[in-house]
Amino acid sequence: MKVRITEYLEIDLGSEMWCCQRCGRDLVAAQENYKKGCLVAEKDMAEVHPPLVTGQAYSFTPDPNYCRLLEFYCPGCGVMIENEYLPPGHPITHDIELDIDALKQRHGG
Amino acid sequence: MCAMVYARDMEVVQQLKPEPMTPRETAAQDKIDDVDYDIFVHKMNMVAQEGKETTMKLGASSGMRWGDVAFGIYTAQGDLAVVATGIWFHAVLGQLPVKYIVKHYVNDSSVGVKEGDSFFFNDPFYGGVHPADMGLCVPVFHEGELICFVGAVVHSGENGGTDPGGVCPRARSKYDEGFIAPPIKVGENYTLREDILNMFAAMNRDARTMILDVKARLAACRIAQRRILEFVNQKGSDLVVGGLRRILAVTADAARNKVSQLNDGVFRQPRFMDTVGMGEGLLKINLTLVKKGDTIKLVFHDTTPMLPDKPLNSFFQGIIGMAMVYFCGWFLHDLPANNALLAPIEWDFPEDCLLNAKGEAPTSMAPFPQTLFANAMFMAGARMTYHMDPSRAQASWYQGFGVPLFGGMNQWGEPIADITPEINATGAGARSDQDGVSGAGAFFATMSDCSDVETTEADRPFMYLFRNYFKNSYGHGKYRGGAGVGFGMKMHHVPGVALGCFGFGSRFPATLGIFGGYAVPPVFLSTVRQSNMGNLLSSSDAGLPSNLDQVYGEGNPEQGQREFHHITHPIQLFMYGDTFYVPVGGGAGYGDVLERDPQAALDDLAEGLVSDWVVTNVYKVVYDPGTLRLDEAATKELRAKALAERLRQAKPFEEFEEGWSKLKPSDDVLHSYVTYPHPSVGIKQGPLMPSL
Repeated sequence: MKVRITEYLEIDLGSEMWCCQRCGRDLVAAQENYKKGCLVAEKDMAEVHPPLVTGQAYSFTPDPNYCRLLEFYCPGCGVMIENEYLPPGHPITHDIELDIDALKQRHGG
Repeated sequence: MCAMVYARDMEVVQQLKPEPMTPRETAAQDKIDDVDYDIFVHKMNMVAQEGKETTMKLGASSGMRWGDVAFGIYTAQGDLAVVATGIWFHAVLGQLPVKYIVKHYVNDSSVGVKEGDSFFFNDPFYGGVHPADMGLCVPVFHEGELICFVGAVVHSGENGGTDPGGVCPRARSKYDEGFIAPPIKVGENYTLREDILNMFAAMNRDARTMILDVKARLAACRIAQRRILEFVNQKGSDLVVGGLRRILAVTADAARNKVSQLNDGVFRQPRFMDTVGMGEGLLKINLTLVKKGDTIKLVFHDTTPMLPDKPLNSFFQGIIGMAMVYFCGWFLHDLPANNALLAPIEWDFPEDCLLNAKGEAPTSMAPFPQTLFANAMFMAGARMTYHMDPSRAQASWYQGFGVPLFGGMNQWGEPIADITPEINATGAGARSDQDGVSGAGAFFATMSDCSDVETTEADRPFMYLFRNYFKNSYGHGKYRGGAGVGFGMKMHHVPGVALGCFGFGSRFPATLGIFGGYAVPPVFLSTVRQSNMGNLLSSSDAGLPSNLDQVYGEGNPEQGQREFHHITHPIQLFMYGDTFYVPVGGGAGYGDVLERDPQAALDDLAEGLVSDWVVTNVYKVVYDPGTLRLDEAATKELRAKALAERLRQAKPFEEFEEGWSKLKPSDDVLHSYVTYPHPSVGIKQGPLMPSL
C-alpha cells in the first residue's frame, strides 16, 4: 500500500520506500532523506529568475554569493520533486522525517 | 504598599494559552442552553465584526483605515475568546496586555479597573510585534461584576522613533524606537484623560492621526460594550461569562483533535535573510516542527543569535503570534480564531536567539524575522499537512514587504508620518489546484485593502504615476503565485518629503515556493532625483512608463539621477518632482514548471503577467509569437527534451554533495550570521551583550 505524502512523493508501507508519485520509481528507504534518492543539480539562477536590469547592483536575479538554487529530480521520469534555495555550501535540508512505524499503524499496520 | 515591579513581566508573556477555568465560569456551564450558546456565539462574532468595522471607519492611519485591525472580546481573565480580524497574530497577542491589566491593576488601589475605564498599550513586549501596533481595551461590568473586556489592536504606525512611520531601521536600542507604553489607564468615567492624550501627541510626529486612532478604538469598544450589555440584560451574565469560556474549551479540543490526525514526524525548514537593519548581510532562522500525537512543537535551535544593536530582533511571543497566522488562516481555518488554538502548540526558543529578544535590544523591524519565519512555517506546514488536505498545502504569499515609510508635511500643511498601503497588495501563493490570486492582500492581514490611489493622494504629498501588476513578479510553477504590484510615485505638492523604504529579499528571495515551485524573484528600489517626469507629464509624452517593466526597459524617456537600492533604504529627503519606484512581490510557486498547462502560461503572457522569455525558457512552451497560438506537439517535444536534459546533467546526491559542501559565502556577508553554516556552534554563553 502506498500513501501520498506530497505532490510528488509517496511512501510504500510494505517496502518502506519513498517513491515518485508520478512514475512509481523507488527512491530511497522511507527512514532516509528522500533527496538522497534523487538526482541533484544546481540551476543557474538567471535561467529561472532573469534579470530585468543589467550592470546594476540589483537586477531581480538572486545574488549567488547569498543564494543558490538546487533542484531534486526523480531519476526515473525527471520530474522536479522539490527544490531548495540555500546559501552556497549550506547543508541540504532533511525536510521530511516521518515516524514510519506510526504511519504504518495509522494505515492498519 | 505598591506591588508593582518596574520591569518586564516575564510571567505574563508565558500565558499565551488559555487560563484555567474559574469557579465562576465552571458554575456557569450548567446554566447554558445549547441553542442559546449557538445564538451567543453568532452574536459575539457580530459584535466583534461591528467593532472592527467601526474602528476602520473612524480611524486615520493607513493601517486602521485599510483593515490592519483586530477587534476582540476577552474573558475576565484576559483570554481572547472572539475576534474579528484577518490579522491573525493579534488572535493571541492582543490578550497579553489584557492579562497584564488583570494581574497588575485590578487589585491595585492606585490604578484599579472600574466601569468606564479605558487602557492603552503599545509595548511590543506585551503586544508581540513592534511599537507601531497599538491597542486599547475597556472592561465590561454588569451589576458590579467584571464579566469581560473588549479591545482593538491596530497598526497606527507613527510613534516618535528615530525614523518616521513606526519602523526604525536605524534603531540601535529600544530607546531609539519612540514611545513604548506598557498598559496604561488613559480614561476614567467614560472620559479620556486629556493630559495623557496631550503626552501622546507630544511624543509623536503625527499627533492628529495618533489621537484620532485612540478615539476610534475607544468608540468601537463602547459600541461593543453596549451590545454585550444588551445581550446580558436579555439572557443573563452566566451565558456571557460561561459562554466565552466554552468557546475556548471547544476550540482547544477541536484543535488537538485536528492535530492528532496529522502524520507524526519532524519537518525542517531553514530560511535566510539578506538584511541586517540598514545594512546587508546573511541571517538564518531555523525552524523544526516536531509533530507527535496531538501536539506540534516549534523548535528554533541553530538560529542566528540576537543582534543587540540592530532592530531585526523579535520577542518570542511575536513568533508564536505569527505562527497563528498560519494556524488560523490555513491549517485550522475551520475553527474559531482565539488563543485556545495554541492548546496543541509547544515551543522551544534558545536563550541567545534573534527570535528571543531580551534586554534593550531594538525590535521595530521584528516583522522581518517574523514573516521570514512564516515562510518557513508555510513550507514545513505544507509538507506536514498535504496528506490530510492538499488544498491547504499552499505556497507562501509574499513575505518580504517593500513598503515606503515617510514623514513631513502634507499638501494641507498637516504633519504626517506613516507607511503607504501597498503593504496590502502582495500576491497570494499558488495552491495544489490553482494559481495564486494577484494583488490579494497581505498574508498576515488577509482582510486588509491597499486603498485606491486617489484616496491616498488626497492627503499624502505623492502623485502616483502608475500602480498595477508587474511582469514576472511571482514564483513560477505548475501553478504560479499571484502577481505582485509595482508602483511609481512622484513627490508632489510640497517642497520635500522624508522618504525611505523597508523590506528584505533584494539578494536572497524573501518567499520560497513549495514542491518544486520557484521563489518570488528579488525586489529592489529605484529612485530618480531631479527627474524630468514633471515635464514629461506636462507634454503628455507618449513614451511615459506605465508599469515597472517599462521603467526598467530601454526607451524610458525619464531622465535624472537614477539609482538602484536595496529594498530597505534609509529615510532621506526627496524633493518636489523626484520619483520613487517600488515592487511589492507576488506569491510563490507550486510544483514543477514543466507540468504547467501551456495554455495557462500563454494566457499569462497575453495579460502581460509574464515575459515571452520566461514562457519559452522556463515553461518550455512553443507558440506563434504573433498570434500566441499554442503548438502542442512542439511543446510536448521541448518538455521531453528538458526532462531528458535534467537527467543528463544532474548528479547522484552523494556525488553532488561532495562538491557542494566545499562552497561558502564570502566573509563580508556573514558578519552577523556567527558561525557558518551552523550559527549555534559559535554562540557564546554568558551575560547578554549590552546595547549601544
